[in-house]
Amino acid sequence: MNFTELDWIVLVVTLAGIILYGVYRSKTSHSLDGYFLSNRELPWFIVLLSIMGTQASAITFLTAPGQAYTDGMRFVQYYFGLPIAMVVIAVTFVPIFHRLKIYTAYEYLEQRFDVKTRSLTAFLFLLSRGLSTGISIYAPSLVLHSMLGWDIYTTNIFMGGLVIIYTVTGGARAVAYTQQLQFVIIYAAMFLAAWYIIKLLPEGISFLDALHISGKAGKLNVISDGLKPDGQFDWKDRYNIWSGVIGGFFLALSYFGTDQSQVGRYLTAKSLKESRMGLLMNGLVKVPLQFSILLIGALLFSFYMFYQAPAFFNLSQEKMVKNSPYVKEYEEAEKSYRFLQDHKTSTAVELAGAIEADDSKRIDELRIQLQDQENKTREVRENIKGIVKKASPGSDTNDTNYIFLRFVGDYLPGGLVGLIIAIIFLAAWGSIAAALNSLASCTMVDFHLKFSRKPMSPDREYKWSKFYSFLWGVFCVIIAQFAYNLGNSLIEAVNILGSWFYGTILGIFLVAFYMKRIKANAVFYAAILAEILVVSVYFMDIISFLWLNVIGAIAVPLFAYILQVVKNQKSRPATIGSFERDQ
Amino acid sequence: MENKSPFFPKWWIWYAVVIVVLLLQVILFFYFTEHFA
Repeated sequence: MNFTELDWIVLVVTLAGIILYGVYRSKTSHSLDGYFLSNRELPWFIVLLSIMGTQASAITFLTAPGQAYTDGMRFVQYYFGLPIAMVVIAVTFVPIFHRLKIYTAYEYLEQRFDVKTRSLTAFLFLLSRGLSTGISIYAPSLVLHSMLGWDIYTTNIFMGGLVIIYTVTGGARAVAYTQQLQFVIIYAAMFLAAWYIIKLLPEGISFLDALHISGKAGKLNVISDGLKPDGQFDWKDRYNIWSGVIGGFFLALSYFGTDQSQVGRYLTAKSLKESRMGLLMNGLVKVPLQFSILLIGALLFSFYMFYQAPAFFNLSQEKMVKNSPYVKEYEEAEKSYRFLQDHKTSTAVELAGAIEADDSKRIDELRIQLQDQENKTREVRENIKGIVKKASPGSDTNDTNYIFLRFVGDYLPGGLVGLIIAIIFLAAWGSIAAALNSLASCTMVDFHLKFSRKPMSPDREYKWSKFYSFLWGVFCVIIAQFAYNLGNSLIEAVNILGSWFYGTILGIFLVAFYMKRIKANAVFYAAILAEILVVSVYFMDIISFLWLNVIGAIAVPLFAYILQVVKNQKSRPATIGSFERDQ
Repeated sequence: MENKSPFFPKWWIWYAVVIVVLLLQVILFFYFTEHFA
């Protein structure tokens, strides 16, 4: 990938600009309120951008177009449950959090249950968020390492280290304001990339033609029902309308309602009204925004109908195979890939003509032909991935994250390449900064202040909070450095860990909010039982991960109810007995 | 008190707007999927 001087200038200026802006916005009062909640003074639109900046990591912008290119746009259904979750959180969660004037979501659990429930959920948050933030530093660094040949350890330090500067100095306020600027730059750059794809389409192929070609190849499958050919529901199918609405709802409820990295964002709002507005607006704009990012991938698919698409998108792995004993095998597979590509190009040209002529019979024939060619291409790509795996056992052969960036490097002009690389950093920083801030607030409020016996002045609390932000930043960079040596296994472990705990933590909060008669011990042991159930279902490998959240969230209230009923029944005879004796 | 704000009417309207917009999006996506398939 060619990275020109102009690209370097654009990259350095953009990154330096964000850091300086973050430091400039760092002025805040020296107290916990100032540092973690920006004195609860932010307007709803800053809260909205902060919520969105926290959720969208660098990988979101790399994976989404690649996902649409390979699997189609059905990934957008994953977000269908989000708006409903925003309404539930705005109705239930936010008023309670605001009324209690808490710093972290877990504080509420002590007020409602006991200290052990609070400490357990806070600990699970620190564990899973700390590790996953390390991975969200490493994952984009690995992509840049593979595409640009940059040293992975140095890239990790830039990806995770520079963000520490403004996160430590400015706390939640700097995080929120930089996320606002990052959002504008990211979407402007993505829009430019989309515009270039359309501009580069061959003469006679319009934007609508590109959509038709992509759609006929099955890439505009925004809605899918998740049914198998025999009419049965496929529980292992990841993205369909049902897993999206139900599974996505529970996932969003858990993430936005109980994960401190998000709760910490909307607690910075100046009133309950502003928090609600930020969340509800997120519910309005999230699906269309995700749709437009995925559309870039679908357009990219049509683009590569007329341009030679790489058989394998990860540049460094491609080079590695070409220097291995498997080069002949790879070149053979590549040849059949090129052969199929040529056929696809002529089908696409003919299809565009048939659409122009409105010849529905010919369109149908060509659609079947195109889908058949696409299926064969998929088989050849699987074969190629198998060869890469043989040449480098243990490596990750999934090249989805590299598809968009390969296009950027091969076809976009100098300067714009630098800008796209810059937005990878900015998107990563947005989510990392919020994560570090929330990890620090949880450590400080749920552990340090909770268990420390000495009272502390606001200034001293502020200094400790800064120290914890710095410490978590260093911890996450170290995790990222280890991830390279441990490879895929660590990433998978972290992802699995996240899907294990999310549903259960949500279940605890649901009991807290909606089941007033359930007491501390019942919910604590119900959570442990639910966790055992979730882990068992995971190992049975019968359903897709989105459903694990649903199981955890439903199992906790159910088990807690049963345990509470059993406990009440056990204690009842003694009470009645004493009552009778009194008689 | 918050419901008296001229810019933010009763909250249930906002909740309804979010759900209705989601429904409209899903219907639009159905049409989009069918139209280009």
